[in-house]
Amino acid sequence: MNPQIILTTSVLFPILAGLILFLFKKDDDKKIVYPVFGISLLVTALFVILLLGAGPVDITVFELMDGVAINFRLDNLGRFFLVIVSLVWVMAGLFSLEYIKHEKRQNRFFGFYLIIYGVLIGLGCSGNLITMYAFYEFMTICSVPIVLHNQKREAIMAALKFLFYSFFGAYMALFGIYFMFKYCITVDFIPGGSLNPALVPGNETLLLVCVCLMIFGFSVKAGMFPLHAWLPAAHPVAPAPASAVLSAIIVKSGIFAILRVVFYIFGADFIRGTWVQQLVLITSLMTVFMGSLLAFREKVLKKRLAYSTVSQLSYILFGIMILNPVSLTGSLFHVIAHAFIKSALFLSVGAIIYKTGLTTIDDMKGIGKKMPVTIWCYTICSLGLIGIPPTGGFISKWYLATGSIKSGIPVFAYLGPAILLVSALLTAGYLLPVTIKGFFPGEDYDYKNHKNIEPGIYMVLPLIVLAALTLLLGIYPSVASVYINDIVNTMFNM
Amino acid sequence: MNPIFLIIIVLFPALTSVLIHLIKFKNRRHMMWFTEFIVLATSLLVWALLLNRPEETITLFKFTGNLSVSFKLDGLACVFAGLVSILWPLATFYSFEYMKHEEHEQVFFMFYTMTYGVTLGIATSSNIFSMYFFYELLTIVTTPLVIHTLKKEAVDAARKYIYYSMGGAAFAFIGMVFVIIYGSPLEFTYGGVLKNGSFSGNINTLYLIYVLAFMGFGVKAAIWPLCGWLPKAGVAPTPVTALLHAVAVVKSGAYATMRLTYYCFGVDLLKGSWAQETILVFTIITIVYGCSMAVKDRHIKRRLAYSTVSNLSYILFGVALMSPLGLIGALSHMIAHAFMKICSFFCAGAIMYKTERHYVYQLDGFGRKMPKVFTIFTISAFALMGVPGLPGFVSKFNLAKAAVESGSVLAYVGVGALLVSALLTAIYMLTIVVRAFFPKDDFDYETIKDVEDPNYIMIVPLTVFVIFMLIIGLYPKPLLDLFATIAAGNF
Repeated sequence: MNPQIILTTSVLFPILAGLILFLFKKDDDKKIVYPVFGISLLVTALFVILLLGAGPVDITVFELMDGVAINFRLDNLGRFFLVIVSLVWVMAGLFSLEYIKHEKRQNRFFGFYLIIYGVLIGLGCSGNLITMYAFYEFMTICSVPIVLHNQKREAIMAALKFLFYSFFGAYMALFGIYFMFKYCITVDFIPGGSLNPALVPGNETLLLVCVCLMIFGFSVKAGMFPLHAWLPAAHPVAPAPASAVLSAIIVKSGIFAILRVVFYIFGADFIRGTWVQQLVLITSLMTVFMGSLLAFREKVLKKRLAYSTVSQLSYILFGIMILNPVSLTGSLFHVIAHAFIKSALFLSVGAIIYKTGLTTIDDMKGIGKKMPVTIWCYTICSLGLIGIPPTGGFISKWYLATGSIKSGIPVFAYLGPAILLVSALLTAGYLLPVTIKGFFPGEDYDYKNHKNIEPGIYMVLPLIVLAALTLLLGIYPSVASVYINDIVNTMFNM
Repeated sequence: MNPIFLIIIVLFPALTSVLIHLIKFKNRRHMMWFTEFIVLATSLLVWALLLNRPEETITLFKFTGNLSVSFKLDGLACVFAGLVSILWPLATFYSFEYMKHEEHEQVFFMFYTMTYGVTLGIATSSNIFSMYFFYELLTIVTTPLVIHTLKKEAVDAARKYIYYSMGGAAFAFIGMVFVIIYGSPLEFTYGGVLKNGSFSGNINTLYLIYVLAFMGFGVKAAIWPLCGWLPKAGVAPTPVTALLHAVAVVKSGAYATMRLTYYCFGVDLLKGSWAQETILVFTIITIVYGCSMAVKDRHIKRRLAYSTVSNLSYILFGVALMSPLGLIGALSHMIAHAFMKICSFFCAGAIMYKTERHYVYQLDGFGRKMPKVFTIFTISAFALMGVPGLPGFVSKFNLAKAAVESGSVLAYVGVGALLVSALLTAIYMLTIVVRAFFPKDDFDYETIKDVEDPNYIMIVPLTVFVIFMLIIGLYPKPLLDLFATIAAGNF
């Protein structure tokens, strides 16, 4: 089949399917809504697989204004993004088939879930800045309903916070984008950047301000300090599958956009050694440390995981801004590892909430005895996030640390790995108590009333798959590293 | 076509509208048909003229000396006349439903239709004197519309409106006299009539007079600190607020500043001067001020009125950039804002008409009860914010492009102001949308069971506006090409 048709279909199909789901309103429509959702999700994933296999695609859908075109082009970074999105989206989707039963308005959740999937595919395939910006905004708008899903007061407030923080970031980035139309030869994504060499001399400060605003703007989604506050607000109130994809994918779209800006618009050479690099390195390290610390203090498990996301995302940003191939490899590894791990963690917490309604860590004594599979998956993923071999997290942290030391940037070369280590310690401190309390409830635990409350296959299967992927990534990193090396080489024009 | 038609499109609605008041209609339906006939006939005539454009100037009458009231259809006039001729029939149609329960309906429709003629007069004026003449007339014929309900606050608002407008016109008058004395030819010429060193005095005098005149015309375009009348005038019936205070009157102000800057003083004289910087600063302040006040205000119509204050200064900002690109940006926002704002005002009007709710916090759960109105409101909210695919994005992009190209730091600050304003727009519009569609979990729909969508008379104009928005948002190229021709001075 023609790759252009596949691309268009894989963007439009889930959006249309989502819109169709809105048509069902009554409760007895459930018999239709569930299969329609499941099938559409799988069909979309199938389209994505076809798309990955298809040849190079480059379509200009239409030209909005002169020089402003909606353009789709699938390169290796885009494929990378699509693979992660699809894996997590299908897994969390399967999970939600069971989970969402205890919420109201299921068709709305499923509808928006599918629509966001389509928008994310569009984001991954965007071929220029303006297309990416458009899908980035659509993604924000469409995510609001799944965040405020239960429509409690705090959920609505959190969703508004998410919305306005995201727009704040998007408009910061847009400021830079406006300038790119003058100072770039083209706003298409070209590895190594497309700054116009004739216009750069004399305008360096302006351009650095632009790149700074764009990085900080997009990093609002990636939860970088000081604009991280939406994350711990939005995650706990959203349904578990929603927080899983928020934490695993939506925040990664910020990272994805930053990668595009840094390596495909400006080029690493332009930013290397400037105050922008220093500034982002400082804030990302601060965020790593602060996020871990806040997570450590937090009692509500979902909120704790949200702070953990804040911290982990800044590992990735740190790796990107070191601007050398090794640390970038680490960042991309961490994108994969964190996507699998964090979605699995949120889903297992979701399973606990679904079965027991417990939210704080102190209440979870003996939970491991009741839901052994869930807590085992939780534990494996926790180990991954801490960075213990043989999990994916170890590989990424290894690359991040060696890349940072090799870079030779004063102070940061050593400060970075040190903070990563401290943060790893804190990570162990905030994730493992669930495992410890879960499996070793202590003497006074009432073993008589013990019964197995493991959730159904729809919930357990995604957990097992994601945990297995985390392990496999650590055991066979070479499978992923082939692709990652390819991407890194493109980005550095090697 | 014969240029005599230029006079007809101004005089026909202005004069025949008197009949709406004089004729004793047997039933309301006849009055509706008659009014719609006048408006629609005028609009068709306008479009016939736009498609077969007469090149000549035609003079209606001469005052003393070289002062004359005359008309010409140049590029800028085409844009403004085309815009109002699309909006007026639809807005009139909408008003038939809205004004059903109001008194003095015929007086209302008389002035409403008369304003159409006067606005077309402003659009097609070929020199600054006739523009000024119609500009003053506009103030006079729209005052009865503001005062319509005859309540105390309406009278106060009308008084404020008159004082502000007349005061502004007085400043504009200074500029007009200056242009008439020193400029030649008198007729609007792209690039200005003051060049060739015709003014030999101190150049700072010229700058001062330009700033005064700009602010004078800017009163109608609600530039800070002279914008107080606009939110107050929101007491008028919604068709007035929507069409006049979001499009016709305020855009006449913006249109007059375009004429003043690009066609009278000329950008070559002004560019880079302190005069340009002064008005840039005022527009930037207004952009942020209007939005901040809109966030603060919880009365729906006042909130939208403050939003208009801010958005009009986008247009003035484009004008103040004093470059062809700036004019393109200003014109595109003039068109885009017209559709977005009339749409959101008509939605607000539908809410007030059907439910008697006036405040934002009363709108919980309305999304389910008035799905059509709130879907349209949501689209216009997204458009105002500048979501890609809708007209707001296109116009903001062009304004920002002009600012970036101009290379001045103040213009960069302006881009920042545009984006701050976009964020504030998101806040004041989307809080309404979220409230309407996602009420609190324990919300009881029984409390709003009287709420329902209005009938087709209100929905049809709204739908047409949405279609226009989508067309402009997704396929703005023909329009932008037209603006580019105008800004190159070839039309």
